[in-house]
Amino acid sequence: MKSLVCLKQVPDTETQIKVNADGSGIVTDGIKYVINPYDEFSVEEALKLKEKFKAGEVVVLSIGPDRCVEAIRTALAMGADRGVHVCDEAVNNGDPFVMAQTLAAASGNIEYDIIFCGHRAIDDDFAETGAMLAELLKIPQITLVTKIEVSADKKTITCERDIEGGKETVESPLPCVVSSQKGLNEPRYASLPGIMKAKKKPVDKKTFADLGLTPDAKLVSKNFSMPGSRQAGQKFEGMEPQEVAKTVVQALRSEAKVI
Amino acid sequence: MANLLVDERDAKFVLYEQLNIEELCEAETYSEFSREMFDMVLEAAQKLAEKELAPTNVEGDTVGVKLENGNVSVPPSFHSAYQKYCEGGWAALPISPDHGGQGFPNVMYIATMELFVSANQSLMMYPGLTIGSARLVQLYGSEEQQRMYMDKMYTGEWCGTMCLTEPQAGSDVGALRTKAVKRPDGTYSISGGKIFISAGDHDLTENIIHMVLARIEGAPAGTKGISIFIVPKFRYDDAGNLVDNDVSTMAVEKKMGIHGSSTCALNFGEKDNCIGYLLGEENQGMKIMFNMMNEARLSVGVQGLAQASTAYMHALKYAKERFQGPEISTMKDPTAPKVPIIQHPDVRRMLMWMKSVTEGIRALLYYAAYCEDRIHAAKTPEESAKYQGFLDILIPICKAWGSDMGFRVTELAIQVHGGYGFCREYPVEQFMRDCKIASIYEGTNGIQALDLVGRKIGYKQGLLFKSIVAETGALIKSAKKNYRLKDIVEPFETARNHLIEVTRYFGLKSITEDFMTPILYASPYLELFGDVAVGFMLLWQAVVADRRLEELYGDAKADTEEKKAELLKSNRSAAFYRGKVASAEFFANTILSLASGKARAIMSGERSAIDLPEESFALV
Repeated sequence: MKSLVCLKQVPDTETQIKVNADGSGIVTDGIKYVINPYDEFSVEEALKLKEKFKAGEVVVLSIGPDRCVEAIRTALAMGADRGVHVCDEAVNNGDPFVMAQTLAAASGNIEYDIIFCGHRAIDDDFAETGAMLAELLKIPQITLVTKIEVSADKKTITCERDIEGGKETVESPLPCVVSSQKGLNEPRYASLPGIMKAKKKPVDKKTFADLGLTPDAKLVSKNFSMPGSRQAGQKFEGMEPQEVAKTVVQALRSEAKVI
Repeated sequence: MANLLVDERDAKFVLYEQLNIEELCEAETYSEFSREMFDMVLEAAQKLAEKELAPTNVEGDTVGVKLENGNVSVPPSFHSAYQKYCEGGWAALPISPDHGGQGFPNVMYIATMELFVSANQSLMMYPGLTIGSARLVQLYGSEEQQRMYMDKMYTGEWCGTMCLTEPQAGSDVGALRTKAVKRPDGTYSISGGKIFISAGDHDLTENIIHMVLARIEGAPAGTKGISIFIVPKFRYDDAGNLVDNDVSTMAVEKKMGIHGSSTCALNFGEKDNCIGYLLGEENQGMKIMFNMMNEARLSVGVQGLAQASTAYMHALKYAKERFQGPEISTMKDPTAPKVPIIQHPDVRRMLMWMKSVTEGIRALLYYAAYCEDRIHAAKTPEESAKYQGFLDILIPICKAWGSDMGFRVTELAIQVHGGYGFCREYPVEQFMRDCKIASIYEGTNGIQALDLVGRKIGYKQGLLFKSIVAETGALIKSAKKNYRLKDIVEPFETARNHLIEVTRYFGLKSITEDFMTPILYASPYLELFGDVAVGFMLLWQAVVADRRLEELYGDAKADTEEKKAELLKSNRSAAFYRGKVASAEFFANTILSLASGKARAIMSGERSAIDLPEESFALV
């Protein structure tokens, strides 16, 4: 079973994010980066498929600046076989469409039975790239997947996906794009022997020119801003219970406008 | 805040910016490694520590170990955490690949241990003792013993212990009574009782390999007649099956802390059916055991460091979140807004003390481990001897100063939390209870002080001490060129001079009849030595951090105090380096400046502690 895992490096969920002075992006100094958690599910599932079929390959594909190679290496330390790193100023901060374009182009030279994407990246939260990639490659996509069964002939896949209040079971021919959702699996930890082996595994670095594409961004980020700080709560004190209840109801109706 | 275990930015600062451990990779021994790999190891360790080890720490404390029907069980959650630790290959991180390990530098071992132990000290007792005892088999075991025991210990499949203490033989190991009688086949029958055996029995692994100190029948009294034996809980019979080896658990201690670590009283040979296999040669037990002494003592220092580290991180987080009282200048205004307690001067003072001391212990312990790596990577015998000397003299300081001051950091963490810190609801009181043992076991801190005063400072006419004096002198000389560091260098130089003076004083006393003074004041001397050693580390760090900070100010064209303050608000690196310089400044001015008083107290030669008749202490 050959899997192509699209992987994004994102700021750690616990990193405190600050917007830079001109609002064009975030302050990157001192940020800790990790593999997008949903992409970690993808890596794990791809490794499991390879183990189950006792054959195949797990290729990790990532777009981003030099530091992205850390995320690729971590996936290699988990057990993936090789990495492809598209690193080009023109795309490193691309919009979802440019990302999908790039992934589609880069996937051209890679053999795969299935493509994994995280269902969204936790930094920009677009949740669009996977879907666009499937469209560009003209293959089916199954989103928000929490369980995967691949037929013995590797021709079809059956997935459970999250829907409002329940699960839906979907079948699709392979290859297809699957977007991983929390609950799919428990990603393994990178082991020390894995880390030792990872450094010897190949990582191909590619630029946009290598892929023969011109970025075609559909979206322009105008400005970043921090959410406004939360207003302090109101306290109603020194009143009789009935009076308090009345005041609170009034406040909820006329000020908060929630009832 | 990324995690509440270890300030990873500071750990990386020590590794890469202070010690520059990447240089180690130039040596043949470590040529396989790189900064990138070290980073991956730290990240993987942190993840494992945070996600698997730390969540079991409270259960370790509240459930603890249980002895039922002669068998000890660990808290249930420990099993999976231990499994993941072993699966990751962590059990043999610094062990040479020739013996089934990964061969990482020791400094990386200590850095990962800080993470793991800060997550769960009790759980880490089991692999900690295993790697120590397996190392003895690696150094002294026969090929057969290595295959039979060591291999399984380095994967974590079996655990190990060190069985030294007996009721009458604690600090005085030479008084032990456990007996070994040679059998016709060359093995030995072991009989006797041991107490306080950490990881003595448990159900984490199917077998436990005890390293037992015992006296062979007819061997000389005292430490000269001690041999060391491999005594498995289950031994192989002739058919290759594991059979019971007559090691029984009499009790597990109920302790102040590390409840998840099983501290056992073991009986060997109750049914006269306990077989031990001699490790190395007869009567070489103490010598063999001494091989693991440096490493074991450093590991206990790491416990002080690790608990201090997580205690500081928790206290800092709490101080930023907990609102209480107005800002001090608006104290009298009842309507003034309440502020987080980190804005109160006394809380800041405590946090600053915790920060500088924790960072100082971290640097000292990493440095000691790094010295060991430099011994392995040395190009000349002189270089190797130099680092061996640093390591030998610093070990008692790492163990004793690290555990004593680490404990004080955990105590302050409770203080920062106020009443909540005293409550079980918050984790800091557990940190303090777990930490306390570090000043007691693996040679009490009193024994460490005697080792420093009795063995280390006099060694080869004071050679080790002189090399520390030279090393610190060189740093002072270069740091003096930077006027911005004046307020750090001066108190440091003064404290160092006091230490030299006290050391000379001890030297004089030891050759006169008044040899009791150095013994009586060994512990205060170790404290003073530790202050200077940590001051040395922090000054070294300040030199590096100040340079980086100036570069950042320069890059940002921050040439006024206002602009600098602005940069510190917006730039994480600048804020970090400013914090490093501040740690050194604070330590120099509030701790090193006490050196003159400490030196005077020692050299007072005050003898009441010795001269006072026991009757005068009090009637008890």
